[in-house]
Amino acid sequence: MTGVASVFDGNGTQAMQIATIGWVLLIGAAIIMLAVGGTLWLAMTGGERTRSLLGGERTVTLLGIVFPVIVLTALLHYSLLIMRNDAADEAVVEIAVTGEQYWWRVSYDENISSANELRIPVGQRTVLRLASSDVIHSFWAPSLAGKIDLIPGRTTRMTLMPERPGIFRGACAEFCGTGHAFMAFNVIVMSTADYRTWRTHELGPATPPSTTLAQQGAELFQRAGCGGCHAIRGTGAAGSIGPDLTHFGSRTTIGAGTLTMSEANIASFITNTDRHKPGNAMPPFRIFSADEMQALSAYLFGLK
Amino acid sequence: MSGWWPPSRWPAMLRHVAILAVAAAGVILLIAWSGIYNVAASKGHTKLVEWFLRFGMENSVRTRSFAQDEPQIFNADMIALGAAHYRDGCAYCHGAPGTTQPFIAQQMLPPPPLINTAARRWKDHELHWIVQHGLKYTGMPAWPSQKRADEVWAVVAFLKAVPTMSVTNYERLASGNPPPPSAPQAVALCGRCHGVGASGPSSALIPIIHAQPREVIVRAINDYRSGARESGIMQPIVMDLNERQIDNLASYYASLPPPGPGTRPSGDNGRALAREGAPADGIPPCLLCHGPDATASYPRLAGQNAAYIVNQLRLWQAQDFRHSAHAAIMTPIARRLSERQIHDVASYLSSLPPGASQ
Repeated sequence: MTGVASVFDGNGTQAMQIATIGWVLLIGAAIIMLAVGGTLWLAMTGGERTRSLLGGERTVTLLGIVFPVIVLTALLHYSLLIMRNDAADEAVVEIAVTGEQYWWRVSYDENISSANELRIPVGQRTVLRLASSDVIHSFWAPSLAGKIDLIPGRTTRMTLMPERPGIFRGACAEFCGTGHAFMAFNVIVMSTADYRTWRTHELGPATPPSTTLAQQGAELFQRAGCGGCHAIRGTGAAGSIGPDLTHFGSRTTIGAGTLTMSEANIASFITNTDRHKPGNAMPPFRIFSADEMQALSAYLFGLK
Repeated sequence: MSGWWPPSRWPAMLRHVAILAVAAAGVILLIAWSGIYNVAASKGHTKLVEWFLRFGMENSVRTRSFAQDEPQIFNADMIALGAAHYRDGCAYCHGAPGTTQPFIAQQMLPPPPLINTAARRWKDHELHWIVQHGLKYTGMPAWPSQKRADEVWAVVAFLKAVPTMSVTNYERLASGNPPPPSAPQAVALCGRCHGVGASGPSSALIPIIHAQPREVIVRAINDYRSGARESGIMQPIVMDLNERQIDNLASYYASLPPPGPGTRPSGDNGRALAREGAPADGIPPCLLCHGPDATASYPRLAGQNAAYIVNQLRLWQAQDFRHSAHAAIMTPIARRLSERQIHDVASYLSSLPPGASQ
């Protein structure tokens, strides 16, 4: 019942509300189920008087029509009330998330984008504006909130209100193509102060390479045409087809939750992107020597 | 009959047929085992066997080639490419305009048909099928790569043009200009098609390799040698090269200035795609990797032949060449291009002066 992606292990107001609704429904349904069973038993074994009472028109009207109408209306009000709470309040943080086959474009600001990871402040209301560039995806971080579809041509909205800091996992919850199973993300909930520091850094340009190896990697990144698809702000690379890599090394995963972040995994992903993540739009680059690959991954890993 | 076979409950007629069949098979086996049958090419076939083999072959070609692709519209570039390959790969058995059929080839059984006979006898798609697949029991080899139907079409285009082709014209197309004495010896192999010195390729389907980075030429040759890159025309030529020759000719071509501008189609439609790409379609800008500042293992495309670029992109779309590391990069990108984008971008790239920067 616990875990980074457990509905029962609620770490956000919305997820907790969903869990509560779930428990209310489950327990309520169990009680009604028992009552129906009991009535059925009475109807079969009870005396003449009990049976005629149960079979009477009055009882059928009361238990078969009036009771369900009251219960269902009450449940509707209960869930609408929760939804209204969700929609009413002002957002403290607004993030645009675009689903693409098979990754998440995340924009904290008009023109500045990141990918495959959300960082949000604890105890504050974050509103996600969700869209899709190709097919229907679905955004679901089970321990933080419910799930909502990303629909081409529309913008949907979702509120996150995390109550505890931590790293929580989410995934695409609507089959979107070959790479669907590798379209995950992490939501990192930070203290407000940490979030502010991080955000300032995130919106800034990339850290220039500090070692000779990383400098060689930066040069290779440019010459091998990586900038045709990827942007690294502060360098010439301005591609918008794939994920923005300005602060790539600071993310927890590579390839939208496919591999954990490490220099070896960066090299492996670039070389065998087609094997790690079938259907992925990035071509595999098996053209680099071991030295070149080391330099390139050192550079990318250093983009903190 | 007391034996266990054929079963005694079979009707008498059926039993006799079965016994005859087994006996016939035994006789055939005996003949083959004894070596009485003469396989000598000097002896030829009897009239009946000759008729039977030809009957089977012709019908097989007609039936099998039935589902071939639509016949192509042949152009001068295809004819020139086909002619150059014909001289090296086919003329030895089938003869060429202006020459008689080589004497040794005449002793084959069946004797290879002369070029004009063959070209007139078969329809386009039948010729294509024969050249691509070869013919069993005749000595006609299959095309070295079954993924290069485009190259086979070039040979067919040439075969169809041969009956009306003059000897001088054939010589010009097939042999190209002789390399200057200063060029390394192996250049003679490449120069026939790719051009030497100041002259470019003999066909726009052939890439201009003048002034390409050395690494690009060496890699292309090594990819052909290992089979990672497939071509029935290039692979037979590069198989015999040694390291030193590859080195020399790569350095030679890398040092040549690009051939004169010639008649380049101008096309501004492909400009945006080549320079900015089409991010919404997942297409990066071509010139980022194929411009002068890119890593040396990427070919430069400014001034490259448009027909060659179109052909390569279509090949990547239609076939799987992904065991070549560079084709693995280009394949997914080529597959995002529309036929229109392919033509526009190829015209634009070929209209650029060689060495043009971003």
